Amino acid sequence: MNKFKKTMTAIIVYAIVLLFVVIAVYPVMRILTISLRPGDNLLNRSLAIIPQDATFDNYVRLFTEKPFLLWIRNSLMISITVTVIGVAFASLAGYAFSRYRFPGRKAGLLSLLITQMFPATMLLLPLFIMLSKLNLINSFLGLIIMYSATALPFSIWLMKGYYDTIPFSLEESAMVDGAGRFYSFWKIIMPLAAPALVITALFSFMAAWNEYIVAAQVLWYEEMFTIPLGLKSLQGNMTTEWGMYAAGSLLISIPVVALFLFLSRWLVSGLTLGSVKG
Amino acid sequence: MKNSVLITLLILFVACQSLIAVQKVHLWHTMEPNKRPLLAEVVDQFMQDNPDIEVILLSKNVEELRTGYQAAAAFTGGGPELVYGPMDQIGPFEVMKLKNSDKSIIMPLEEVFPEEFFEKFTPNGLIRYKGHLYMIADRIGNHLALPYNKRLFDEEGIPGPPQTIEELIEYGQKLTKDTDGDGNIDQWGLVWNYTEPFWYIPFFGGYGGKVFDENGKPELGSQAAADAFRLIKDMRDEYKIMPPECDYDIADNMFNQGNAGMIINGDWSWQKYMNSPEVDFGLAKMPYVQAAGHWCSPMVSATGYSINSNTKPEVMEATKKLLAWLTGEEVQKRFASEFKSIPSIKTLYNDPEFTNDPIVKTSAAQIEAGQLMPIVPEMRAAWDAMRPALQSVVGGNMTPEEAAAYQQKLCVQKINDMYEVAGEGSGSSITKYIIYIVGIALGLYLTYLLIFKFILALLRNPYTMDSRNARFAILISIPAAIVMFGVVVYPFFYNIVLSFSNMNMTNVNSWEVIGVEQYGKVLWDFDMSFADYRSSLGDNSGVVIFDYLKYFFSHHKFITVFIKTLIWTIVNVFFHVTLGVMLAMLMNRKLPGKSIFRVLLILPWAVPQYIVALTWRGMFISDTGAINLILGHLGIAPVSWLSEPTMAFMAAIITNIWLGFPFMMVIALGGLQSIPKELYEAAEIDGASSWKQFWNVTVPLLKPVMVPAITLGTVWTFNNLNVLWLVTNGGQPADHSHILVTYVYRAAFNLYRYGYAAAFSVLIFIFLAIFGLTFMNRSQVAEKA
Repeated sequence: MNKFKKTMTAIIVYAIVLLFVVIAVYPVMRILTISLRPGDNLLNRSLAIIPQDATFDNYVRLFTEKPFLLWIRNSLMISITVTVIGVAFASLAGYAFSRYRFPGRKAGLLSLLITQMFPATMLLLPLFIMLSKLNLINSFLGLIIMYSATALPFSIWLMKGYYDTIPFSLEESAMVDGAGRFYSFWKIIMPLAAPALVITALFSFMAAWNEYIVAAQVLWYEEMFTIPLGLKSLQGNMTTEWGMYAAGSLLISIPVVALFLFLSRWLVSGLTLGSVKG
Repeated sequence: MKNSVLITLLILFVACQSLIAVQKVHLWHTMEPNKRPLLAEVVDQFMQDNPDIEVILLSKNVEELRTGYQAAAAFTGGGPELVYGPMDQIGPFEVMKLKNSDKSIIMPLEEVFPEEFFEKFTPNGLIRYKGHLYMIADRIGNHLALPYNKRLFDEEGIPGPPQTIEELIEYGQKLTKDTDGDGNIDQWGLVWNYTEPFWYIPFFGGYGGKVFDENGKPELGSQAAADAFRLIKDMRDEYKIMPPECDYDIADNMFNQGNAGMIINGDWSWQKYMNSPEVDFGLAKMPYVQAAGHWCSPMVSATGYSINSNTKPEVMEATKKLLAWLTGEEVQKRFASEFKSIPSIKTLYNDPEFTNDPIVKTSAAQIEAGQLMPIVPEMRAAWDAMRPALQSVVGGNMTPEEAAAYQQKLCVQKINDMYEVAGEGSGSSITKYIIYIVGIALGLYLTYLLIFKFILALLRNPYTMDSRNARFAILISIPAAIVMFGVVVYPFFYNIVLSFSNMNMTNVNSWEVIGVEQYGKVLWDFDMSFADYRSSLGDNSGVVIFDYLKYFFSHHKFITVFIKTLIWTIVNVFFHVTLGVMLAMLMNRKLPGKSIFRVLLILPWAVPQYIVALTWRGMFISDTGAINLILGHLGIAPVSWLSEPTMAFMAAIITNIWLGFPFMMVIALGGLQSIPKELYEAAEIDGASSWKQFWNVTVPLLKPVMVPAITLGTVWTFNNLNVLWLVTNGGQPADHSHILVTYVYRAAFNLYRYGYAAAFSVLIFIFLAIFGLTFMNRSQVAEKA
């Protein structure tokens, strides 16, 4: 009886999990389908994942007709820089918020949350004015600063939350042994915080990799385009090159999915949001 | 050795010289993807002929070009030297003035070109507005006509394209059929984008309607408007010649695949159909409306080039040269012969290559029957008013007459909003000073906090351990603080100031602080008056106070959108959390293959939002979308996801739930893994059921992990513009699918109500701040204690 019950539970669990896996994967498969269809055949009654007349034409055209590799290079340059800045700054600030009581601490933590609350679209115009006053139009630097600022609040929160789970006694004993503040942070805490660092990196990377609204305002040269902007340029007012768009969409998702895959081991343990008060 | 240095220097010098000599001309344009290669080709040719000029092309869609150019030209005094786009963008460009000047952001061309230059163009190729010539068109058209598939017409034995509405319906019925006998219609008589007003205009005109009267006042409530609505609805519901749901892509695709006899589509699309193996292309004029005695008359506009007023004198010559080349005979001829467009050069009208081409002939005849696109900025309000009316008729929520009256009212109201004159009351100057005083007081308070609570606190007892720790902490958070505050502070305060101002499109560089009027407009604004509402109730009206409450919650603009936003947020976050926690619990069991499942379940999070949002929109299309096809296989009747307000809103919610559950799942999984197994074992020994274990062990221990995530998730969902915007295509149908942020977006970027939009945003911000802080505080009191 008990065994029967166990098997039944297992079957139900599997069924539910599989159902959700299908739901999660199916829309992405639709993108694959569209990218494999010849021409711009967006709409089709067929539910087959691999269409009968499948072709890699759209992928080939993306690389031959469009400066796709250049866009990838630009996006990589920007995203990697943002990742480095994000990880460096967030790991430091998060540590300060987690370990020390200092004037402005509470205000700082609150303002991290508060930056998320203003509708981002309304910030677009003043940001553009500001960037142009600073002569940062058509420069990657402007974008990098912008993306770092969007990625930081969440990253700092995340790092703080993770540091909170590491007992303070570790540093205390190091300090008793005569280690300085920075030394004990760098040599003792940082290695322990690796999972959170990895996740912070992932978030910072994604923030920069997927963004296009600010990029569209700031970049005026096609050879400076990031991938999302390049993809957007395949859309006209009325006509869109859907096949290439889908192909490009899949290709731009691959690095992020690969990162998730590679980092999934740390993802669960590293993603611990801190509390504002704590 | 010395020589080589000299030579290198010389080369460098020459190189520098030539670098300086090259003039860069930027051109932003709105050409469709299929026209871009030809544009690039003629521009390359231009650069070869003029080695001292470099042309930099940038393609944008019409909306992006308009807002992007305005931001660059009006707000920063820069922008591209040349802009190319439809002629109706001249209106909004003319209204916007440069900084410290009453000049528009585009230049009157009669001031830079000699009189003779304009002689070669046809009159409608020279776009004038308010007495100045602002644009030179390189083609006339952008008009709708009636392409048809001769092959399908032959199959049904139809002699030729329809001449009248009656024939259109008759042929349409013949062409609409179920070719494979499965009970679904798979060939339609007529397909078109019948929820967009641009496609409605020809019929409106066919019944004799005009958008504006001679005085420029909107005239959308006429009988013609209602008749055109009725015809469209009847063609679908009564004569059944069009599919039950149809947008641009569906129509375009069906016709291109040979699954539709006729399509109403514009000159930009014809080349594609000519090249389609499934289509034997024929072009016809849109039919004659016998009842009213007019031909259907589509909007005819020109597309062309304008010069930026910020163009620097040293590149002016190069800019003029480029404009002259791109509007010149040679280039126009190439575009015309490849895309069958109608040129704006007089001599080309005598060229036999065009005059004998049947497609060009029909196209020219269609232009003859068309109406010229009004340039006035009010046209934007007209489009925005017609769209919801049209979609309400099509969705069956309004009768044609109601819709006609509605669009007229809406158009008048939107025009008023655009030109709202704010801040001319007597009280406003007092409120203005109050605001200044409050602003200064706030600034002083912040300075006080900075000096006394921060700097002095740090300097006090500098040698204690606490103080050293604090200095270290501040030192290591400074880099992050600089980046964040550097980016956030200016835009934030800019918006706050803006929210007290009267900024709209007419005064982008001369707005002033006027007081709290914009807040008043947000907080006290109804889409109809109470008297109208009561009379619409008729016999159903009851006690005044109850009627008023009903009226308040169904017609107060902010409240109605706010309620939708709450529903949007609560439903989304609820499902994110419950699905996330449920899946996390399943993933936390012993489950072979777990790691693979986990990665697959995270997939929605990893794929960029704007891409999947568009994919989901595709899956929701009623006729060919995957969702209805799957429902069909399960024996469930198809749902019109995108044309019914509630369904469209639900479609967006479903999409967003899909996007958001993996995040919560991962957070919950992390929380679950940190719960010690012993607790469950102990509970089991005590005989607690799994349900009890869940409520007494899992939930309390998961709470501290989930609360910050839920707070953040709520804020993100509340302010999520992308998903709803993309799935409902900007609030469709009928502007019913809006949450606060999409509403703000429309107000700011479509109607240029910057002050109003800023006030709106500040209110959103205040609400979220109050919510976020209370929620976090309340849920953490227990944890801290």
